[in-house]
Amino acid sequence: MHCSMSKRIWVLLLPVLLATTFILSGCEEDEALKPTERFFVNDFADVIKPEDEDTIYSQGVGLQEKTGAQVVAVTVKSLDSQDIRDFGVALGREWGLGEEDKNNGVLLLMALDERKISIEVGYGLEGGLTDIETGIILDTYAIPYLKNNDYSTGIQKAYSAIVNEVYIEYGLEPEEGYTPAEEIRNRDEDEENIGSFFGAIVPIILILILIAVFSSRGGRRGGPPFIFMGGRGGFGGGNFRGGSGGSFGGFSGGGGSFGGGGSSRGF
Amino acid sequence: MKKSTGIILGIIGTFFLLVIIIVGWGVSTYNGIVSAETTVDEKSSAVRADLQRRSDLIPNLVETVKGYAKHEEQIFTELADARAKLSGAQTVAEQEAANTEISSALSRLLVIVENYPDLKANQNFINLQTQLEGTENRIKVSRLDYNKAVKDYNIRLRRFPSSIIAGMFGFEKADMFEGEEGIESVPNISF
Repeated sequence: MHCSMSKRIWVLLLPVLLATTFILSGCEEDEALKPTERFFVNDFADVIKPEDEDTIYSQGVGLQEKTGAQVVAVTVKSLDSQDIRDFGVALGREWGLGEEDKNNGVLLLMALDERKISIEVGYGLEGGLTDIETGIILDTYAIPYLKNNDYSTGIQKAYSAIVNEVYIEYGLEPEEGYTPAEEIRNRDEDEENIGSFFGAIVPIILILILIAVFSSRGGRRGGPPFIFMGGRGGFGGGNFRGGSGGSFGGFSGGGGSFGGGGSSRGF
Repeated sequence: MKKSTGIILGIIGTFFLLVIIIVGWGVSTYNGIVSAETTVDEKSSAVRADLQRRSDLIPNLVETVKGYAKHEEQIFTELADARAKLSGAQTVAEQEAANTEISSALSRLLVIVENYPDLKANQNFINLQTQLEGTENRIKVSRLDYNKAVKDYNIRLRRFPSSIIAGMFGFEKADMFEGEEGIESVPNISF
């Protein structure tokens, strides 16, 4: 009697248990973001134009072939109330960007609803791509476009900048016309120092010097970094695009890990 | 005679086999615990290094802020005191307390900074803030990794039968980091 009772309970419970595990495992699968077949560009928010995707993809392939490093761009619609940096580290580790022994992966992540963008740098590249440099890349190449809702261009330009920084880190030549973030940084800081020095002591002399500079160099601008954008744009073309047109898939994470290096910005 | 010798040999053989198996299991369990413990130590020093890294950013930050807000002496003193406490911290608890102090002083500093638009636009300051954000993120990650290592180690200590070996050699339970909120209370940096 007792035995048959408990058997009956089991008969009743088993489907419930199975259903529960099924639902739970289903949920988990839902949450885990899987890379697309074009591993280097994963436009889940659907904001990147096809031609920019092609550029990103071929730059990513080229970089991995030359250096082994992986730079991956991801856009999501929402972070589900997670912090973008937490999300980024978790995703970078989950996908294992970069080589396992070198941890040379970089993740460029944009969240549409939260209007945030971040760069996560793998352990192995933290020296070459410092937090400050990632911040400058975002401020210079992404934010001016993202602010105008031109997500596609912003992401593509930031991606190119990261790829170029990684080339520099590996002692290779960056693309022609690329200004290293370190240079931008030094220039900004110099300008600031000059500015405050003169501003504090003799403002009149500052004005005179500025006038002299402007008249002799013909319009060298001294504003915030993004003003320079117009002149420097358009390097995303030719060089790389031909590289691997049409080849799909075949790339995946190498098991690299992330330790929280990088930076994020709202826009 | 011969038959009993065979039995005795068989018993001795089985006995030795058992001893070898048990000792072998003991050694590998012991080694497993030791390597888990080493991982905990390693992750703990990673946390410590990240805390130190943040602390090391403070003098530069203070220097930059002072250029614009000389009279906010109180917050500068608080930061200096908290830093001194962190470098003098011996135990994890002291380290935690000092770190919480640094976090709260930093968040107050960033609130003060809101009153100085020129400072906020200063490239040096923006860079320092970026570094601060990155470092705080690193602290978060290294703490997460530390807690994971501690969990793995503590499970080995408590789970039967490895708990026997752990008890025999007097391994002690490691503590996790609590109160991640301390880190998160640093205001989000927006530009």
